[in-house]
Amino acid sequence: MLLVAGFAGGFAVARTVVRLDQVVRERFGGRLFRVPSRVLSAPIILYPGLDWKQIGLEQTLQRLGYRDSPSPEGLALGRYAWKGGEVWLHRRAFDHPTRAEPARLLRMRLAGRLIEELRDADTGQELGAAFLEPELVGAYYGSDHEQRELVSVGDVPPHLVDAILAVEDQRFLSHRGVDLRRIGGALIANLRAGGIREGGSTLTQQLVKNFFLTPERSFQRKLQEALMALIVEARYEKAAILEAYLNEIYLGQRGSTAVHGVGEAARFYFGKSARDLVVPESALIAAIIKSPNGLSPHADPERARKRRDLVLVLMRDQGRIDEVALAAAQAEPVRVAQLTPEPREARFFLDALQRQLPDFYGSATLTTEGLQIYSTLDLRLQRAAARALSEELGRLEQAYPRLAPKGESRLEGCLIALRPQTGEVLALVGGRDYAKSQFDRCTQARRPAGSVFKPFVYAAALEPGAAGPLATLAAQLDDSPLEIGTPAGPWRPKNFDRENHGWIPLREALERSYNVATARLGQQVGIPRVAEMARRLGIESPLPLVPSLAIGAADITPLELARAYATFANGGIRPHIRTFEDVVDPNAGTLERQPISFERVLDGGTAYLVTSLLEGVVDRGTASSLRAQGLVGPVAGKTGTSNEERDAWFVGYTPEIVAVVWVGFDEPRSLGLASSGIALPVWGRFLRDATGGQVRGAFLRPPEIEEIEIDPTSGAVALADCPARRLEYFLPGTEPAITCPGWGEPVRSDDPAGPNLLERIFDTWLERL
Amino acid sequence: MARTTLTGRQRPFVALFFLAFAAVSCRGPALRPPSGEPVRLSRLAGSGDAARRASQRIVLSGLDADQRGRSAEASSLYERSLQVDPTNPYAWLALARQEVFEGDPDRGLAHLDKAEALLAADDTAAAHLAGIRGAGLRAVGQPGMAEPFLREARERAPALWADGKLDAAELR
Repeated sequence: MLLVAGFAGGFAVARTVVRLDQVVRERFGGRLFRVPSRVLSAPIILYPGLDWKQIGLEQTLQRLGYRDSPSPEGLALGRYAWKGGEVWLHRRAFDHPTRAEPARLLRMRLAGRLIEELRDADTGQELGAAFLEPELVGAYYGSDHEQRELVSVGDVPPHLVDAILAVEDQRFLSHRGVDLRRIGGALIANLRAGGIREGGSTLTQQLVKNFFLTPERSFQRKLQEALMALIVEARYEKAAILEAYLNEIYLGQRGSTAVHGVGEAARFYFGKSARDLVVPESALIAAIIKSPNGLSPHADPERARKRRDLVLVLMRDQGRIDEVALAAAQAEPVRVAQLTPEPREARFFLDALQRQLPDFYGSATLTTEGLQIYSTLDLRLQRAAARALSEELGRLEQAYPRLAPKGESRLEGCLIALRPQTGEVLALVGGRDYAKSQFDRCTQARRPAGSVFKPFVYAAALEPGAAGPLATLAAQLDDSPLEIGTPAGPWRPKNFDRENHGWIPLREALERSYNVATARLGQQVGIPRVAEMARRLGIESPLPLVPSLAIGAADITPLELARAYATFANGGIRPHIRTFEDVVDPNAGTLERQPISFERVLDGGTAYLVTSLLEGVVDRGTASSLRAQGLVGPVAGKTGTSNEERDAWFVGYTPEIVAVVWVGFDEPRSLGLASSGIALPVWGRFLRDATGGQVRGAFLRPPEIEEIEIDPTSGAVALADCPARRLEYFLPGTEPAITCPGWGEPVRSDDPAGPNLLERIFDTWLERL
Repeated sequence: MARTTLTGRQRPFVALFFLAFAAVSCRGPALRPPSGEPVRLSRLAGSGDAARRASQRIVLSGLDADQRGRSAEASSLYERSLQVDPTNPYAWLALARQEVFEGDPDRGLAHLDKAEALLAADDTAAAHLAGIRGAGLRAVGQPGMAEPFLREARERAPALWADGKLDAAELR
């Protein structure tokens, strides 16, 4: 009977062991960790002449985990110091898809707000530019929301392993998975304390618990843990077990993201790679394993320091460090990198980037493969965009009670900024709060365009076709009442001011955003040609071929609009939207590269004429309040308000950035205000933050563009005694054929050129004689 | 309003009259003499505003990498230089050269359009603009269209364009 029971018990144990062995082999034989892919920003580039205050140099360094030092003497890696009018920075080495940037000691001499000189402090060599490592934009987390940076045992400093072993499992190298001496010691300590105060688990047991078991505290679970630890130790090398532990251990919380492993912890707490940790930092990481949140140096630095010092003493007692190292490490204050939660508003950008990646990079890949994605996002501009949108919309809600939230209905908005020459997305905020709504109003929402569509009509009219352009910038447009027959009945466009203005200069029609004059111009150009122009410039949404298309009766996305205006800013060259440069597998190198690409879709001259018109909108027209906000330099743009004032737009550009702001409600609800009071302030605030108020550069004027003084009221060439004059731009051969004073009729949009100028002047002259 | 129109016989005389008038009364812009030597980017490192100078130094680093055969690194540095100054024509020129000779010639020609738009008034870049365009057209299978551009490059800069190629070192 006893024999049978013994056989039965033995069989049950053997079966359990076989089952557990299979579980262990399956886990260790396959992928041990799912590592979320990270998205990194474009790097910050330092150079002489850069406004270091505007880029927030010190805050940037702190976000990157650099810490300040009292003196530049012997400046350690990852530290910076101010001395007189200089900043010294010991920049860390970092990898880039195409090159490795070595560690470098930089010396920046400052003059006021500017970096006056940049040198390699070791060699004295003057530098034209220096890169800082890219910042983390965010990551693609799985459902567990864990982040880790994998390390191998050979990559981490020995003192990190020593610190962990000293406090967590000092006999790790000699036991077989279970440490009976430690269990005995814990048992006695717990009996004395009258409860469970100490655990006797080895590293292997902790690993097994994290990998396979629940946190439940029971004898059965403890037995299972011990059995699996023995199996793991029997099957795998100590180094493999240690490596798995170093990458698995939970070490803190960054917002909703769990920090796992020493690699990620080194980044989180010290802003550096685990291989660059120094002894007190290693001891601190080991110290917080017991209770990562309770002992967090971010939450309670003093408590963390005491525990760290205890670890250091244990290291000394176990012969892992000597007295000198102990004293030096204990003398170091606890200094951790600034706690920087991932910018939540950048989640919209991460989603947009994921949509742009090839299908191969689905969620399953992005949440597990640990890829590094080098993006185009400029985190400084991203923060400026988020701030501008959030604060300005909040201000509007305060200022206008009709915009205040009603139930679920809340004022929404989005802002997207591109570099027009390259199509790179520099900033993208798809809504006010990603946590509440992940719907990206910049890339996914099609909204009525309103007047921001009008420049496409003017571009089509100004572009030289086979018979020359339909209009020039000197043309006069007819803004008298208009009625167009449509299948739905007569359509009578109205101006915003409910007035008609007769014959007006073409510039004024766009600067004042007159609907009637533009609708009539659209008819003269032809609606199919207007639609074709919009398509060429980058509008992909369906465009209804109806007369009202000319004044924006089409639903489009802010992203499309940004690309179309980028084409104007870029001299008629349409850029392809670019959200990333490289996708890199840390083991396999570059997997994917997105090069800069674009195509010419409009001649440079016509693009310049449109830019010149849109500069007028900012200087004199519906967007002139931008100048009152103190924005100096070349800026072009267009306001837009849709029917019933449901959508407010502003699209504007400088020679180096194009940005679109949309403001409205997700549900049909009127704003009751024109865009100049709603979208424009958001754009102005963003651009002021982005540029410091002083816009760099100039819009490139193609050499073929002719600059002629004209009489603004008639559009005639201004001769010496013409009473009024202003400079105007013309494509070759399209100069006005009349002069001021008195050499002909005003130039109408339906007869922009007529006979050439010499003929017209001479004919009129002869006639007068 | 009645209007008197000139007859076809009158118009040549009138035109001559106006030409003569224009010749004595107008002074057009002075023609720029053709430059002796094509542009070398290392000589431009100190010109322009702060962003342009920084951008230019990064382009030079890119050309150094290009010379050493590290194309990907060079390309990345050219893109970095555009991050600092997206209107730097020489960054676009270097990118165009690299794409035409070592990468995607179609893309190189597009980059060249960008460089050309920014360099339209710069005679010293004319040889390279023509040569790279010629080489790009040849690479995309349009030798007939390529030849006049290559000829122009050879005429403007025989020492550099005799072989129909432009090395990174020659642009640097």
